[in-house]
Amino acid sequence: MNPGFTWNIITDVQWMWSLPSMVNAFRAGLAVAILAGVIGWFMVLRRQSFAGHSIAVTGFPGAAAAVYLGLSATVGYFGFCIGSALVIALLARGSGTGVGERAHSSALIAVVQAFALALGAVFLDLYGGFLSSTSAFLFGNFLGITDEDVLTLVAVAVVVLLAMAVIGRRLLFASVDPAVAAARGVPVRALSVLYLVLLGATVAEVSKFTGSLLVFALLVMPAATAQVITARPGLSLLYTVVIGVLVTWFGLAWAYFGNQATGFTITSLAFACYVLAYAAKSVRRTLRQGRPGRLEVA
Amino acid sequence: MSDTAVPQSRRRILAGLTAIGAVTLAASACATTAPGSASRSTGTAKIVVVAAENFWGSIAAQLGGSKVAETSIITNPDTDPHSYEATAADARTIAGAQLFIQNGIGYDSSWAPGLVSANPNSSRTVLTVGDVLGLKDGDNPHQWYSHASVYKVIDAITAEYQKIDPADASYFAQQKTAFEDSALAQYNQLETTIKAKYAGTPIGASESIVSPLADSLGLDMLTPYSFLKDISEGTDPTSADKAAIDRQIRNKQIEVYVYNSQNSTPDIQAQVKLAQQEGIPVTTVTETLSPAGDSFQEWMVGQLQDLESALAKATGH
Repeated sequence: MNPGFTWNIITDVQWMWSLPSMVNAFRAGLAVAILAGVIGWFMVLRRQSFAGHSIAVTGFPGAAAAVYLGLSATVGYFGFCIGSALVIALLARGSGTGVGERAHSSALIAVVQAFALALGAVFLDLYGGFLSSTSAFLFGNFLGITDEDVLTLVAVAVVVLLAMAVIGRRLLFASVDPAVAAARGVPVRALSVLYLVLLGATVAEVSKFTGSLLVFALLVMPAATAQVITARPGLSLLYTVVIGVLVTWFGLAWAYFGNQATGFTITSLAFACYVLAYAAKSVRRTLRQGRPGRLEVA
Repeated sequence: MSDTAVPQSRRRILAGLTAIGAVTLAASACATTAPGSASRSTGTAKIVVVAAENFWGSIAAQLGGSKVAETSIITNPDTDPHSYEATAADARTIAGAQLFIQNGIGYDSSWAPGLVSANPNSSRTVLTVGDVLGLKDGDNPHQWYSHASVYKVIDAITAEYQKIDPADASYFAQQKTAFEDSALAQYNQLETTIKAKYAGTPIGASESIVSPLADSLGLDMLTPYSFLKDISEGTDPTSADKAAIDRQIRNKQIEVYVYNSQNSTPDIQAQVKLAQQEGIPVTTVTETLSPAGDSFQEWMVGQLQDLESALAKATGH
């Protein structure tokens, strides 16, 4: 048994990190939070949360198919997540930001997602194994991370973040004002495809630990919170990463001392941050305007 | 949104990238030693045994007697071992085990092997029931309902104890004999009696947990295996299977209906109701020890006695 929480924080942490599971969970949690934070920040900015969610969901049939074919689940996560990202990116019309274009691409994404879930059920049935694997694919496991897992995760994170560092500035321009960006010679369409592929790779790698459901929480919640706090791009990107890391680490510690599932603790903390940020913004706005209840166009 | 903010965002990404490297390196140096752990655990010479499920844990504890300290991870009758989400306390328990017993065969594979590999321990032995029995993922994992399998696992556990603590080898041999001959006496006797009296009796069941039991007792399981497997794994059964089972119940082709009371879907409840209407005796089994405080043999004997009386009622002898 683990000793419970005491107010002697140093002893608590010593106890917690004497368990190899928890050390690797903190290492992986850090990399996951930074990676998902940066990718998720652009996802929220580009209003592609639905695409992100669908790509995350396709990780589930991917893993199921790989296990059925006797491959490692990792192959399935990467194959299906990047594959569905490409389908969404290539079949969506134009830049995907106009009203008609957005309606078309959201329907397309919904079709991909529905089909992916059906495929997942079929592969699990073909495999004939226990549905225990379903819960692992959907909810992940932060406690079963080995040293090799952490190294692979960091390698993927470095590659994705390097690519983001190279395209980040142009991607931001293309995300905020695609028409002007295109007029200035920014390859809006290519950037959109590349970004979705990076999103797919991130989701695939992160899903191995978080499952297909928690990955979405880590992509969207810290970024959404940061964009409520500030409209300045650089600052809100920094907040996203900081919130993501804190939420993940405190969530892991809460899961450890409270003997809770990590999916619940991390998501609850992230949700609490969003609610606090939103409430603080509303209160501030009300105080400044002196007219409660007035809507502001974001 | 101003243009000057744009390069800043790029710097943030680079900063984040550097942060990953730096903090991961820092964190890698952060593995701590448990406070006061040096003075712990040296006093007693008991073998620390951890079982993923309490039916194997109960057997391991009785075989180890006073030389073993046993802990089971899944002990709550309301927990479904298929979809168990392990906690940090479980990780700690497994990290400190000298012998870890897991079922395998896909039953606990979503969490138990992960906790083992994430918490390396050179002085720990892992005993996988599926490996002992030569079964793999997709085979029937509920081997604690098979008399022959239970005896093979008893042999394997005792052999591990003797390997870990050779000085007490004869103690463990005695424990094994006592367990098999006296603790399991009533269980053995019920298995023999039911087999002798009711072998070949057609029965129906809700899920594949009953199959090893039916095989062990020589009962004739009429329910399609695809249905048993679907219910056990939590997938939707086909309507053809459901229709076939309804027919078997209505035509009284089965003498007794056995269902897992811990995994009773609406389909199963409907079958139970139909069987009761048709006057077919219904009896239950459970996934794990129920009540949780029972020993393996108390639990098995209770279930076998219920099954025996249902068979007696159905066949009239």
